[in-house]
Amino acid sequence: MGKVLRVDLTAGTVSSETVPDRVYDAVLAGKGLAAWYLCKNIPPGADPLGPDNILGFAAGALTGTGALLCGRWTVACKSPLTGGWGDANCGGIFSPAIKQCGYDAIFFSGISEKPVYLFCDSAKAELRDASAYWGLDAVEAEKQIRADVSSRKRPCVAVIGQAGEKCSLIAGICNEGGRIAARSGVGAVMGSKRLKAVVLAGSRKMPCADPEAVKTLSHDLGRKLLKMKLPSGLGGFLGLGGRALGALPSVPMDGSMTSLIFREWGTPSNTPMAITSGDGPIKNWEGDPTDAHGMTRDYNPDKINRMESVKYHCYACPLGCGGRLKIKSNPFTQHTETHKPEYETIEAFGPLCLNGNLDSVLAVNELLNRAGMDSISAGNTVAWAIECFEKGILTTEQTGGLELRWGNAPAILALVEQMISRTGFGADLADGVKRAAEKYGGKEAAMHVGGQEPGMHDTRNDPQLAVHMVAEPAPSKHTIGMSIQYGAMSLCDICSWAPPARMHRKDSDYVPSEEMALISKANACYSMLTDGAGGCYYGEMMGVHMWKLVEYLNAAAGWNFDGDHYMEIGERIQTLRQLFNVKQGYDPAKVKLPKRMEGDPPLRHGPLKGRSLRNEEQVSLHWKAFGWDPVTGIPLPETAERLGIPALLED
Amino acid sequence: MAKKWVEFDLKDCLSCSICVVACPVSALSLTKDGKSGKYRNVFPELAPGACIGCGTCVKDCPMSCITLKELS
Repeated sequence: MGKVLRVDLTAGTVSSETVPDRVYDAVLAGKGLAAWYLCKNIPPGADPLGPDNILGFAAGALTGTGALLCGRWTVACKSPLTGGWGDANCGGIFSPAIKQCGYDAIFFSGISEKPVYLFCDSAKAELRDASAYWGLDAVEAEKQIRADVSSRKRPCVAVIGQAGEKCSLIAGICNEGGRIAARSGVGAVMGSKRLKAVVLAGSRKMPCADPEAVKTLSHDLGRKLLKMKLPSGLGGFLGLGGRALGALPSVPMDGSMTSLIFREWGTPSNTPMAITSGDGPIKNWEGDPTDAHGMTRDYNPDKINRMESVKYHCYACPLGCGGRLKIKSNPFTQHTETHKPEYETIEAFGPLCLNGNLDSVLAVNELLNRAGMDSISAGNTVAWAIECFEKGILTTEQTGGLELRWGNAPAILALVEQMISRTGFGADLADGVKRAAEKYGGKEAAMHVGGQEPGMHDTRNDPQLAVHMVAEPAPSKHTIGMSIQYGAMSLCDICSWAPPARMHRKDSDYVPSEEMALISKANACYSMLTDGAGGCYYGEMMGVHMWKLVEYLNAAAGWNFDGDHYMEIGERIQTLRQLFNVKQGYDPAKVKLPKRMEGDPPLRHGPLKGRSLRNEEQVSLHWKAFGWDPVTGIPLPETAERLGIPALLED
Repeated sequence: MAKKWVEFDLKDCLSCSICVVACPVSALSLTKDGKSGKYRNVFPELAPGACIGCGTCVKDCPMSCITLKELS
């Protein structure tokens, strides 16, 4: 049995609640525990920014057990962006901090009269006045709170910046100096509750059934990683690699290669490959690699590595894909350092806006990290504004004089600043591209799925990704499943019904099939399992023979289940989240890809030339594979029954 | 009373920060710049005088890189 902390912000009270073992057995912790709690406790039709919405911070089942790549925290709520299930996920060190306070999750309901923060350690949990921090950006607020709070253990802080305070619907929640749980508008929900921060300083031992067995698994993985090496100076060749991937009839991927690449460069390694292979959207999803000419050099990850002052590792991570960069003589910012920008940020403010200026991307990165605003959503929204301006849908009268041209870095910076402060033209863009296009027009250029802007991976390059962008209960995410990921994971070796690992074939994979539906189901189930465990996407990408999630879970929980049992847990979490959507009136059948993302019409040049998707057919097959209605996407009663969900949700 | 503290052998260190988070008094931080083979990396370091010698980090390190030292 574990415990969760409940905080009623309206009443100003905190209380602890015991969670029955059957819940952990059924959904693990992390996203699964959040799904169980939110399904039970958020009433139908709740206003996402009202008191009935619940914001939950949950640690994974493996966090703190000694398992590597298991330090991620989930934050979940009803999303103000989509009106359905919302969640975001982040590394840093906040996840173990939840457990060190003696809890698996913390849930906030109600709305506080004045700004507050929650302080919690091993002995107490209390709400404190946060008026002194309201108005500060996330980095400054974290610093000041840490300096002001007296505790034996250095406090961990999850905090919103100006974007969350102003209830921007694309706001996220930060920790560790601007590392952000960005998606689904979770920061807006936190801001609506006038909850500035969650401050944790506990030092309790985190439970684990067999720590020695977990340690042996981690030691073996650690030894493998220490032996793996990559020759230096390869960053300039990644673009060529991407070009080859774009031209090949099928795409191979090996899990250990991913580990090497991310350890060397972090996610910026993907930028040159994405530009040339067709994976990265260019010019608001309308361009091709020739439009982004020269940007493989502009965003060469070796160039970024040379600015790195120190590497950054999240908790329990041996890869260390993060880093702190020193910013020197950058005309766009006064800040002197920033977290290494993620690929998503570089692509969204680089090739997507046809902007080859790395300095400006670093400046945007720091602005957004401090404000606590999602760079994926913000980048898609800015790219929409530029396209609309270039096509005459927007005028300088509307933009307040901003010349929103492709690659106009100063104008991009100015617009982002307006979005953060909710001033000028940017005020109307602070709630994302769907709402901006509803006001100004240009809907065909507004790239969103179900209200949320898509991650920086082109659906036309990967039909598997296209399915998840639409069928995922929190739509538009790029982290649920991709073809190359499936090839790397070897799920068929732990799951009896998962099709064999295979290369992504660019001929047959575009034809809807039952096999493709089983692959997307396996991807989604394993993704949910990983999130329940608190695992990292890059652990998934290593493959099941390197990052042994099933063995880790058995050792940590004292269980002896096989992969099929765990994949069913993933299926249960996914189905619970979809049932949350149904309860809230979210209609899965209305969620579609924008035509552009479907290849309608197909691009005329580049690696994606002529590619179009039959996504609705494939989504229907995906739902059917899950035991959900293939037309409506609603889980069938017999499926819910088979997964034991009605009994799980009973008091 | 014997003074206890920890020492690191960074050769096999994964920089995973499990020790940093485990420390009940935050005596450790992942801030020491260095190299892991050819890779530049960041490693744990001990704040002077802050270690209480509890051995929690020693037990939790997956690569057995930490030892508890004792001065009578």
